[in-house]
This record gives sequence, C-alpha cells and structure tokens, in this order.
Amino acid sequence: MRISEKLLQVKELHKTYGKGQSETSALKGITFDVLPGEFLGIMGASGSGKTTLLNCIATMLKPTSGQILLDGQNISSFRGSQLAKYRGSKIGYLFQNFELLDNLTARENIVLPLSIHGENPKKQVAQLQKLAKQLDIEDVLNKFPSQMSGGQKQRVAAARALISNPSIVLADEPTGALDTKNAKVLMEKLSSINHTDGATILMVTHDANAASFCSRILFIQDGVIFHELRKKVPGESQNSFYERILTVLAQLGGGSSNVL
Amino acid sequence: MFFNFIKRNSRKTRKENGVYFASLIISIIAFYVILSLGEQDVMIYLKTVESDAVARLLLLIPMLYAVSLIFVFFLVFFANKYQLQLRNHEFGLYLMMGIKRSKLFAMVMGETLWNGLIALIIGIPVSLFLTELISLATSRLIGMGIIGHQFRISWVGLGLTVIGFILVQLVAMFILSFKMSRKEPVDLINDQKEETQRVLSPVWSIVSLLTGAVFLLGAIFLCIAYGLAILYLRSLDYKIFALILIVGIAGTFMLFRGLGSLIGAWIKHKSSSSTGLFVFTGRQLQENVLNQWGSLAISSLLILMAMVSFTYGISTALNNSDASSKTADFTFRGSEKEIVSVLKSDKLEPYVKEFYAMKLGHFRPADTEDSENEASGTFSWSGLLESVSSEVNSQEKESLLSNLSVQDRPYLISLSSYNKLLNSIDQSPIILGNDEIALYSDEEWSHSHDLLRRVLQSNPIVSLGDKQYKLTSKLYTSNVVADRAITLSYALIVPDDIYDNFTVSSQDSYLWNLVLNFDFVQEKGLMQAMYEVDELLNTSGLEYESYLSSMGRQLFYTVAGSYTTFYLGIMFLIIANTVLGLKFLMQQKSTRHRYSTVAMLGASVESLCSSARIQIWLYFGLVISVALISSIFGIWSLLETFPNSININHGTSTIVISLIVFVVFEFCYIWMIQRKSDEEIKKIKEIG
Repeated sequence: MRISEKLLQVKELHKTYGKGQSETSALKGITFDVLPGEFLGIMGASGSGKTTLLNCIATMLKPTSGQILLDGQNISSFRGSQLAKYRGSKIGYLFQNFELLDNLTARENIVLPLSIHGENPKKQVAQLQKLAKQLDIEDVLNKFPSQMSGGQKQRVAAARALISNPSIVLADEPTGALDTKNAKVLMEKLSSINHTDGATILMVTHDANAASFCSRILFIQDGVIFHELRKKVPGESQNSFYERILTVLAQLGGGSSNVL
Repeated sequence: MFFNFIKRNSRKTRKENGVYFASLIISIIAFYVILSLGEQDVMIYLKTVESDAVARLLLLIPMLYAVSLIFVFFLVFFANKYQLQLRNHEFGLYLMMGIKRSKLFAMVMGETLWNGLIALIIGIPVSLFLTELISLATSRLIGMGIIGHQFRISWVGLGLTVIGFILVQLVAMFILSFKMSRKEPVDLINDQKEETQRVLSPVWSIVSLLTGAVFLLGAIFLCIAYGLAILYLRSLDYKIFALILIVGIAGTFMLFRGLGSLIGAWIKHKSSSSTGLFVFTGRQLQENVLNQWGSLAISSLLILMAMVSFTYGISTALNNSDASSKTADFTFRGSEKEIVSVLKSDKLEPYVKEFYAMKLGHFRPADTEDSENEASGTFSWSGLLESVSSEVNSQEKESLLSNLSVQDRPYLISLSSYNKLLNSIDQSPIILGNDEIALYSDEEWSHSHDLLRRVLQSNPIVSLGDKQYKLTSKLYTSNVVADRAITLSYALIVPDDIYDNFTVSSQDSYLWNLVLNFDFVQEKGLMQAMYEVDELLNTSGLEYESYLSSMGRQLFYTVAGSYTTFYLGIMFLIIANTVLGLKFLMQQKSTRHRYSTVAMLGASVESLCSSARIQIWLYFGLVISVALISSIFGIWSLLETFPNSININHGTSTIVISLIVFVVFEFCYIWMIQRKSDEEIKKIKEIG
C-alpha cells in the first residue's frame, strides 16, 4: 500500500492533561490509518480517550506529541488562519447535539461553511440540492431549527458537514441525541453517501447499532487501541457484525476491568 | 470564608460586566453633581441675589434626583436580571450542595453591597473632582474669576448619593432574588437551555408579514408626528403636544417591532450570493432586534430626549456668554451730589477706577404744546423704515419694522456720556459729523442687528423735530448701564446740544455708571470684588443696581436651564447606551455556542470579532439613526417654540456642538462594547 493512498495517518499520538502530580494521560501512543472511502468507527467506554482522539483530529485540541497527517499534511502543527482554512473545508463535523445555529434557516446553516471560506454559495446550488435529496431534507430547507425534528436537524447538520466536499467527516456520537428510528435513518443515509460518493467518515460512538454500519471499528481503552474489528466484505450481514461488536464490548466492559 | 466568597464572586461580576459597573459609577457621579448644585460657587452667589428663584430650583432638584433614581433602578434591575439568569445554574448547584436559601440570598445581597461599595469608593472622589471642575468652569465661563473659589463638599449631597444608590441596588436585588428563591433547584439548573431554543416562533411567515406592515405603519406614524411637530408645536397647544407625543412614541415602537422582519427579508434576499459571515452577522442582528424591539425603541426615545436636552442646554449656555459683555459694574440713580459724595469717600475710593454720568432720556421736546411749531415736536424713523422695507422679506424684518413703528418717542443718549463709556472699555469714541447721529441697540435685540448693520451702510435719514439727520454706518451695542433690566431696543446717540434740546422736559434723572479698579477685580475675581463693594454700598442708602445682580437673574435661568437639561441629557444617554450595550453583550453571552460552532466550521477569530463589531455598529446605528432623524425634527420644533431662548444665529453652532458631543460619546461607548465583545469571543475560542 502506497503512502499517498492513506487519507489520514495518526502516528504515536500522546495527550496528557495537567502538570506534575495531577498529570493524567488520555492518549498513550495511538497509531492508525484511515483509507479514502472508509467508514471507520471508534468505540470505547467513557474516559477511554475516544473523544480526546477525535478532538485532536478535529484540531480542537493540540496533542502533546505525535503526528496527525491529513492528505500528507501535519494538521496538528497548524496555527491561526492555516487552521481556519482547514476547518469546515477539508474537515466536516457532525456533533452529538447538532450545533445548528438556531437563528439561521436550514439552507443558511448548510451553506455557512462555503461562505465562511469565501465561496459563492450560488455555485454550489447543485451540490446543495443533491445533498438535500440524499438526506431527505428538501422540505425543511427554508425552516429554522426550532421548526424541525431532531432527526431532521441532524441530517441538516450532516449536509452542512458534507457541502464543501471535505476529505473526511468527523462525527462525534451523531446518534446520541436521536431516538432509535431517527438514528437508524441517519446511519442509513450516512452509509449510503459513504457507499455512493465515497465520502470518508470517522465516527466516535458507543452505540453498537450505529457502529454496525461501519466498515471497520477501533476499540480504545485507557488511551490505547485495544482491538480492531473489520466487516467481512462481501458477505457479512449487518446483524452478524453487530453480534461481533457486542462480544468485543462485553470483553471491554467486563474483561480486563473486572479482573482488576 | 463566606465574606471571601462574596468578594471573589463580586470581583468576577465586575470583570465580566465592566460596562454595567462603569455605568453605576457614572450614575453615582451624576447623582452627586446634581445634589451638590446648591454648594456650587455660582449657586452660592445666586442665593445672595436671587434667593427665591434659587430656592425654587433647589426644590426641583430632589424631583430630578427621584426621577434619575427611578431610571437607575430600572437599569440595575434589568442588568441584574440577566446576570442572575446566567448564574441560575450556579445557584441551583449551590442549593443542591446544601446551601440554605437564606444564605444564598445573603450571598447575592452581599455581592450587591460589596460591588456598590466599590463603585462608591471609585465614584465619590471622581464626582468631588468633577464638581470642582464644573464649579471652576462655570465661574470662568461667566467671568467671575477663579480666585474667589473655595473647595466645598456637600455633605447632604454625599449622604443622599450614598443612600439613594445603595437603596436602589438593594431594592432591585431584593425583588430579583425573591423571585429566584421561589424556584426549584431543578428549574435553576436547567434554566439556561430554554433561552436558546425559543428564538423564533413557528408562525414565522405570518409574523413577518404582519410586522412588515407594522414597520410601514410605524414609519407613517413617525412622519405624521414629525409633520405635526413642525406645523403646530410652536403654538404650544397641549392637546397637539400630547398627540405628537403619543403618535411619535407609538410610531417608534412599531418601527422597531417591524424592523426585525425587514432585516430578515433583506438577509433572505442577499443570502444566496453572500460570502463570509454576512448571513451569520445579519441573523444575529435580526434576532437582537426581534427579541428586544421594546428596549430598542425606549433607548431610541431616550437618546432623542438626550439630544433635545443637550441642544437646549448648550444654547442657553451659549446665549449667556453672549449677553455677558460688561460695560459698567454698578449703576446709580439719584442726585449727583449724593452719589459723588459717597463714591469719593475714603471707604470706596480705593475700589473705584472711574464714574461718570450716563445721560439718557425720552425724546420729549420742550414745546410740544405749541401748535404752531408742531413739526419741531415730532420724530420719525422715515428713512430708516424705508431702507428696511426695501430689504428682502424675513422674520427679522417684520419684527424690526413693527418694533420701530411703535417707537415714536425713542430714547436719546448724550454723545459725551456714551463716549465716556466707550473710553472706559477701551474703545474708540464716536465722532459725529454735521447733521449726523448714531443708532444704538441693546445686545438683547441682536436678532435684528445683522439687518440693521446692512441697512445702515446706506446712511438712512431720520427726522428729529424739523431737522433731518443722517445715521452713521456703525451700530453701537455696548450696554449703556450695568442694570440689565433696563434695555433700550433702539435709541439714538446724539450730540449733547441736541440731547439738551429734546429732553428738556424729561423727568428721568441721571444715571451714574461706576467702573471698578481693574487691579482689584483681577486680584479678587469679579464676583468677590463686587460682593465686597456691594457690602459697602449697601449701607450708603443709595439706589443702585450692580452688573452681577442684574446678571444674576439671567445667569440663574441660564445655569438652572443648562444644568438641569445637561444633567437629564447625560442621564438619558447613559441609560440608553447601557441598556443597549448590556442587552447586546448578554445576547452574545447566551449565544456563545454559536460563535464556537462557526469557529469550528472554519471562521477565524478575527472574522468572528469583526462580525460582532459589525453587529454592534448596526445595532447601535439603528437606534441612533432613528433617534437622530427624530431629533432633527425635535430640535427644529424646539427652535420654533423658543425662538427667544435660542438665538437663531446660534442655532447651527448649537446643533453642531451637540452633535459632536453626542458622536464622540457614542463612539467611545461603541468602542468600549466592541472591546468587551472581542474579549468575550477570544474567551470562547482559546484554541486556534
């Protein structure tokens, strides 16, 4: 496999909070790659370091040591305007609580990353229409968030994450605030966009159901990668993948920590 | 422990709400300035000459104070309401950790008291300094000299300031924390979330249609109010006045009610082609206007009131400096022998520079009864009237013509005594040629002076008795006597022989002008010097008027007028701006998560700061521009209603000065809020 094929490379990532006696390590040397078009899940218990990892990749947090390369560029060393240019255009975000601006319409919310980066949203009308159709939010484009359901809100947020054709979409517990039905709809949409358009998605979750839509899952415990699961393509049904995820989770929750 | 806790919390409040804290300090200063008015140099002097009027003004001050207390109460109430709302979560946690409600209540009150105390510690020295400065400045401005100045502290004023300020704060906080203490902990803890979700109503489209209509209606109402103000306000009919007020106020409220949806429509129109943070900036502004249209309208009206107050205050102050030119210090009325004997006495001599008779009397020829010689007994402005009539029509021309036509027996002033007066104020004397006389008009009538000077260039002719005289081309305006109650609208300066001829039967006794020793005035300051001489003269039994006591009357109205209006203007302006600034910062605080989301989507800190700066400009700009447009009409009708107190010549300069003062103030305020908002945004996003 050539290096240029790797979209995201995380190398020996360390993150420690605090200093001296109160020092705690959240990440203790994590290394993995993401290939273009992959749908990667990251799972782990609370406090395992998965959100820290995502925040580091999202440039919301600076790692203590190690490198994060996106398209071969070390994004963890970016500062100021360089960072601003990257956010929203090369990286798309999906948050647990949507983070839509509630005084903007859905359409305005979706095209916000484009206008922030100085692009004329008019040129992207076709892209907007396509995403709206894929995510089934055509009816709500002119509505304000307070007039939408939770599922619609998250799909609008997904459209916003995808509008600028980012290299990678980072999703932090995207189903966390949704009911099962809406969560399923969202995951189906994301998964179909991943399949048809080849969008690369990195998702942090502890919902095994949501994770079963991924093509690969990394399990993190105490700041290190503990296990990796890969969906067998072709052939493995979502159900059997789900069963396997549950097994690993049982080990994670029960296994080592119960022994201690 | 508990006290340290209070201290720490209140320090945090001061840091986070610097703008509010600054307004508190300014209101302390304003309180003391108005309450210590009675102790100011000018007022102490005025008390000696115009004790009745001053007493009436001083009675008015508690009312002004009460009104400003009410305003400050609302300021404190609303500012703290939002501050407490932001802290609800914190209070809920305290309750859950087992703090008793009474202790929480004590904590909030303690913080208020502590902050109030610190505001007083800063505010009182500043206000003492400022009142001294104002006292000095007014003394200077009205020519009293500064040497007689004394440092004074108004203890009553100070006490009332402290009590009123603390009381207002405690009452406001008591009401607020009483409301809060009735809430359950769970409501307190969850309170913050609700705020952000109930932003826009689902009936958006209907509301927007309705409010668009309301906007139009508001604009129409305002225009009607403006039109009415221009057309009818000068008649001062209270019914019309009330109508203008109601229509204007309603119009302003409706205008701001509808403005929000107008902004929304504009954003919708522009949003498809805009780049950068345009949509975000616009929507934030729209939300502010939609949620706070009431405060915006009130602020706009307050700013309008401040503008009108400033204009009135500045114009009265300017008018005074205009009338303050002094020719003589004292004027005596009585027999020459008596007056001379007193003024030459050893007691008074050292103070006196010179004294001279000022001969003036009505045109009253000796032989009016003589029917044969009728022509010699008449007077006519004929030539002057003709020249004036040929000028372009104007209000000044009308009033001049009507004034002149009723004066068929004008005052005559003897040339020699007027020359003595000119000599005493270091001006060159009048030299009259054959058949020449000069025109005199008092400074009070300055509105016609430009016109008169123009007309005099052609040396128009007036007839005195059977002879005709040319008027010199110069108009003389130096006041003939110290007594400002005697004003001569239009009089003639004539050679002494003519004066004697035509005023023989005049009953007027001579007036004597006294000029004080210049060195003595320099040393003591005019006010003190006159005061000393006044004491001496008081015992002499002479009938006299001093420049200051007659000025006093005028001065009183000026000082009272400009002081109170300035005071009110500043209070209005401070309250309007603080309400605006606080509302903006509070909204920014409660929507801080939006700023961090936009930052996550790739907006740089700089672009976020500039978006907020634009929001602040527009937010203040909307309010100020509506107020300014209204104030154009407000000041216009003010000029129409009180043409006497506001000199037309000063109209433009008055408006320019008040505009500059206002613009500078607003710029400072907006700059302050922008800096605060930058700080806030940088706090939101510490990474990057």
